[in-house]
Amino acid sequence: MALKALLLGMKYLFRKPYTMLVPEKEPPMTTERTRGRHLLDMSKCVGCRMCQMVCPADAIKMYKVEGDFKRNPKKIFPGIDFNRCTFCALCVEVCPTGALSMTDITGWYMTTTDTRTNLRSPYDLAAELAKNEKPDFRITITKQTFLYQTKKKG
Amino acid sequence: MAESKPRMIFLGPQHPGAPGNVAFKVWLKGEKVVKAELVPGFLHRGFEKMMENRWWEVDVVLSPRYCVEDPDNFELAYVLAVEDLFGVEAPEKAKVVRTIVAEMSRIQSHLFWLMHMGGATGARYIPGWAMAAREEILKWYDYVTGHRIYHHYMTPGGIRWNIPKDFKEVTLRALNKVMPIVKDIEDAFINNRILRARTEGIGVVKGYVAVQLNATGPTLRAAGIKYDVRKVDPYEAYRDVDFEIPTGTEGDAHDRIVVRIREIYQSKRIIEQLVERVKPEDLNYRVKMPLLPPPSLPWPAVARHGEGMSRVEAARGEAMVHVVGIKDRKPYRVKLITPSMPLLTTVMDYIIEHEDITIADLPIIVMSLDPCPPDIDR
Repeated sequence: MALKALLLGMKYLFRKPYTMLVPEKEPPMTTERTRGRHLLDMSKCVGCRMCQMVCPADAIKMYKVEGDFKRNPKKIFPGIDFNRCTFCALCVEVCPTGALSMTDITGWYMTTTDTRTNLRSPYDLAAELAKNEKPDFRITITKQTFLYQTKKKG
Repeated sequence: MAESKPRMIFLGPQHPGAPGNVAFKVWLKGEKVVKAELVPGFLHRGFEKMMENRWWEVDVVLSPRYCVEDPDNFELAYVLAVEDLFGVEAPEKAKVVRTIVAEMSRIQSHLFWLMHMGGATGARYIPGWAMAAREEILKWYDYVTGHRIYHHYMTPGGIRWNIPKDFKEVTLRALNKVMPIVKDIEDAFINNRILRARTEGIGVVKGYVAVQLNATGPTLRAAGIKYDVRKVDPYEAYRDVDFEIPTGTEGDAHDRIVVRIREIYQSKRIIEQLVERVKPEDLNYRVKMPLLPPPSLPWPAVARHGEGMSRVEAARGEAMVHVVGIKDRKPYRVKLITPSMPLLTTVMDYIIEHEDITIADLPIIVMSLDPCPPDIDR
């Protein structure tokens, strides 16, 4: 019996380590369904506050945004505090117009300042928005800053 | 030499021998443990009160969080209680998928416990193997539900999303990766002479005493009593699956270890039977519950007055949820009864009273009971 345990130990000794180097060698383990950072389509949002009402962590506040939004006369949009958010996707489920959706951007990607990722600094994005005459964009808002993210085409 | 007074020391909450966020006051006479007192409350978050302040369907998000290691069984318990109150029955597909998710949760919980058990006995190779096996299940969870630890996959009235198209293959692949590691652990650890010497005959809770001590789950079954809510009061899809209840004979720490390992095999058997029955193209997986109000009203059109109750067999024992509704958007009261409290109070006291145990045996006994401190504190 003791010999068997020893042999099993040897088997694992010569195996490749199970540990993965995330994010140095391998990307974060996400799947198609991974619930990560939110995206808000501001052209669809009607400012009904349902997402704010349903949020279990009280992470959503409504922010007033200046601009021409025909479907949103009050011009209020949900801002999500990612320090509180539990990523339960109840706000996405409850949204009557389908304006909120979720990406698979989680964990490391959300906090990084690395320019290789798809998260860009709010200042760059704001500058890019100012250049376009008819900006087609989605917005997510955190506690401190407004983070704009351009809508991916196609 | 004159008889010395017992000396009190603290064990935990940051001791490797403590099961997590609880501490023990241990009175020692030399090496012998005279008395151990549980000091809970390090992880008290007031779930029962928090749930009273949120909507019925939003509480699903809170319900897995009072046991980190075995979230889905507790989620299922809450969901079943709400369904009982609202008089709604989930579709057949949702029941089967929920059962699979709950059984996967049982396997990952037992693997997590194996890590603790290996740590407590000083078998440093076991934690790595067990966590590698658990990782496969967490990846499966990420693929099916979208999250790794807390899934929020169930909802009153069904499941929130349809299963992926290759659900059967992915599930069986995950099981086929986990099971060889479990077999290796069984060969190298459970039947190991050192572990047998350290666990056999220690922490004996045998026969009817376990019932009197209010123990449930593997501790009760290791005591030789064939009691499992899945068989006694079948819920969800357990009615028509074929599985056995593993029981022990001696009721000692080693029996409890063996019972849990055999439960992993039974869970695998249940999943293999159920996975044949779910079809991704079947879209009837969620019944709309009368929970959400129309956007113009702050209260729902239909509200229930009454109470709902459910009990499930979680990985550590029987979990019960009692909900009371008073025609409100939110529950009036949610009472959670969780399995870990008796394990560290009555069962521990009984063992220490009836046996000569030393300080080195204490972590082994605590780990073999497999308590989940978050569900003691809630």
